[in-house]
Amino acid sequence: MEIKEWLKAALKDLSRSGVDYADGRYLDRETEHITVRNEQVAGLSRKSDCGFGIRVLYKGSWGFAASARLTEADVMETGRRALDVARASYLTQREPVKLDDTEPQRGTYKTGFEVDPLAVPLDRKLDLLFSALKILRQDKRIAVAEGEMSFYRTDKLFLSTEGAEIAQNILESGAGIEATAIGDGDVQRRSYPSTMGGDVATYGYEFVESLRLVENAERMREEALALLTAEPCPAGRSDLIIDSSQLVLQVHESCGHPTELDRALGTEISYAGGSFLTPDKLGKLRYGSKAVNIYGDATIPGSIGSFGYDDEGVPAQRFPIIQEGMFVGYLTSRETAPVLGRTSSGAMRAESWHHIPLIRMINVNLEPGEEDLTLDELIADTRNGILVATNKSWSIDDLRLNFQFGCEIAWEIKGGKKVRMLKNPVYTGITPQFWNSCDAVCGKSDWRVWGLPNCGKGEPPQTMHVAHGVAPARFRNIEVGVKK
Amino acid sequence: MIGEQQILALLKRVIDRSPAERTELVFMGGRSGLTRYTKSSIHQNVIEENTQVYVRVADGKRLGVVTINRMDEEELLRAAAQALDAAKHQPENPYFEDFPQPAQYQKTKTYFEATAEFTPAARAETMKRIFAQADRLGLEVAGAFTSEEGEIAVLNSNGLSAYQPLTHAQITIVPVSEHGMSRSSAFSHDVTKIDFEAVAANGLERCALNKDQQEIPLGQMDVILEPSCLAEVMMWLGFIAFGSNSFIEGRSFMAGRLGEQSMGENVTIYDSILEPEAQGLPFDFQGFPKQKVALIERGINRGVVFDMLSANQAKTRPTGHGLPPGMPHGAIPWNVCLAPGDSSLEEMISSCRRGLLVTNFHYVNGFLDPKKALMTGMTRYGTFFVEDGKIKHAVKNLRWTESMLRAFSNVKAISREREVISDEGGSFALMPAVYVKDFTFTGVQKEESD
Repeated sequence: MEIKEWLKAALKDLSRSGVDYADGRYLDRETEHITVRNEQVAGLSRKSDCGFGIRVLYKGSWGFAASARLTEADVMETGRRALDVARASYLTQREPVKLDDTEPQRGTYKTGFEVDPLAVPLDRKLDLLFSALKILRQDKRIAVAEGEMSFYRTDKLFLSTEGAEIAQNILESGAGIEATAIGDGDVQRRSYPSTMGGDVATYGYEFVESLRLVENAERMREEALALLTAEPCPAGRSDLIIDSSQLVLQVHESCGHPTELDRALGTEISYAGGSFLTPDKLGKLRYGSKAVNIYGDATIPGSIGSFGYDDEGVPAQRFPIIQEGMFVGYLTSRETAPVLGRTSSGAMRAESWHHIPLIRMINVNLEPGEEDLTLDELIADTRNGILVATNKSWSIDDLRLNFQFGCEIAWEIKGGKKVRMLKNPVYTGITPQFWNSCDAVCGKSDWRVWGLPNCGKGEPPQTMHVAHGVAPARFRNIEVGVKK
Repeated sequence: MIGEQQILALLKRVIDRSPAERTELVFMGGRSGLTRYTKSSIHQNVIEENTQVYVRVADGKRLGVVTINRMDEEELLRAAAQALDAAKHQPENPYFEDFPQPAQYQKTKTYFEATAEFTPAARAETMKRIFAQADRLGLEVAGAFTSEEGEIAVLNSNGLSAYQPLTHAQITIVPVSEHGMSRSSAFSHDVTKIDFEAVAANGLERCALNKDQQEIPLGQMDVILEPSCLAEVMMWLGFIAFGSNSFIEGRSFMAGRLGEQSMGENVTIYDSILEPEAQGLPFDFQGFPKQKVALIERGINRGVVFDMLSANQAKTRPTGHGLPPGMPHGAIPWNVCLAPGDSSLEEMISSCRRGLLVTNFHYVNGFLDPKKALMTGMTRYGTFFVEDGKIKHAVKNLRWTESMLRAFSNVKAISREREVISDEGGSFALMPAVYVKDFTFTGVQKEESD
């Protein structure tokens, strides 16, 4: 591959120029997004995106340059531009950057699949989506029936002046449907298997078929219609069972983001925000109850939060973040981990070739409870409460403390049984108090990994594919509804 | 920059040789530089060059789109063939008739060489001076400074040919003390128009005020919202109410209610590329001329924006707000402006008996109940308690949950001065400060709950 030799030459050139460190990343990605709405193809695009980026550390200051022009001269020139940018950064340096001593890696990583989704005929994909939409639209009150499919094939190459050489090939597939019902001035939506494009995994088209969109369409339609006449979720304090389709975003916003060490150190403070989990709290703060165990784990097969190596060449790892409620770990990089006297946990990821890697979530998972408690058993164990499912709205403050989530659907629980459907559920809380109120997490049989392909961070904004393994869990005495 | 002649000539050749009966090409490309800093030191510093070409073809009423990031004639022709293949496998789109015909565009000045030539070293030197300014006050600075140049072109097989170069300079200053933060920012197509020292001084002055934040009782309170708060709300209104799809599908408060009063008589919201304070891209990504669109006029629902397909579906005309090909969102307003009033920020503060001055919102979400434009969000970078016409003290960041229809029906005053709040790619909001009565606060940022 020519680009590998050109990047090697550029890195050699930079080494001769006296840089502390440099790496080069080449990325070639093919994507296909399909959106069907009612009887129409609302959006269908295939995209090819290819280029490279060179990152330079010069006298402890970073520079990065990226280009889509794939010639030897352009690769060499881009390396020199990255060095110029690093020299500019050096003008304002106060503390030089030092990297950890992660051993340079040489290796490959490839995700498996049975059916290449980009080779599946378009007719077959549209047939599946329109079949599901036909069921959703069997009642006129469903004003919008929508279905989506997304496929990504990414080939990546990573080289560094330390001698790292890594090739990775990652294939991702995802799909989902949703029904929007309108009646009497009200709008209600149900999504399957989740909102915002459904679920995504590093499998082939077989994953899309395994979601059984058509088989679940009738339930989505009927629930959306039932919500139009359901009672609003009452405001007040209540025990709350959160289904995994909502808990995934709760974990994402209130566990994942605040444990990104760059946020905690203030490097995102002017945009995405900081974190209440500052390093002085590491090993000391009771973040949650003893039922709460959260791990970072980039090794789970099939998940879009998994990989062989992160985008600065660190191998995928599994490590504790919250252990029996205690805050014990961060998502880190080669630059930030030494602040804690540690080495990188392998969480540096870049959206594409023209983005620098940032600390991003991988799979940040709420571990299943030790007893194999099921959701049905958890409901039966709850005298009075509310069960909420599927995210509808989300908001959390810049330190990740005060959050408010809205869900598509809720059910009132009385005497251990779901007694009626409720609409427009909203709950709010303060992160550590909320997780300390968790008294039960369901077991392995209800634990699943959800792919979230739209995590935003950084400037210019980067969208990352992350994932969370979660099981339904119960939280005691939570503020439900909007306080007036 | 590739340049107008070269881009248009290459794309014209691709259209002439396209295997499709009708072809549309949208080019976006350029070079951008972004410098991020924290603790008064640059920690991220990047430059990138990229191009993107959307190739959309029509086979009768079937449309196919392929996007590539290579400006190569043969590769673009391959993309056109792939798009045609995709089109042939799709159902007909009853709302597609033809790509637009050639049009005349308003002249807007969006490119300035000084911005295009602004180097990473120039950004670093600028920041070095601002860091020194902060050092003198014992403060640290975080933020980002962008300077970029780009080109956008739209061509189709009807002979339509549109081209516009753009430059963009934007700086965000977030001074940080051990007590709190503040934020100031500036945007201009022309980097020489930004008074960096003044932007920094504004932020540094505010930071000194943001200390000893107290907790106040939750509930309804008068608020004075600065322009950046309004810009974030308008972005959400654009998505849930002022765009084509939510209107056509009946999901928004505008749907079926044009001509009805939904906000106060002193509120007028419109989309425009030709304002004294800022100018935008004169055509959309389909080549339709951008029109000034009245969205809310004296509180009355007046209209929404449309692109080619949504206009045909709604049996109306496109307003020039189409997004790049293949996107499923319909038309979205790009340059939302709130009409100025006759007050000023200082007059609002001095007229406030008891209320809050809110400088910035954070993480707004408008999906709670779009029919009521019910939104939630946090305050950030400085929230101040105002009493008897004076700023008394800072308060802790607050969560608010409010219907924007209710809020914009309770507007007591609007400032004469407006601020350009920019997004990338020619999108901006032009917002004044607004005094809103009885805004609803529902939570507070703190580590311990009640």
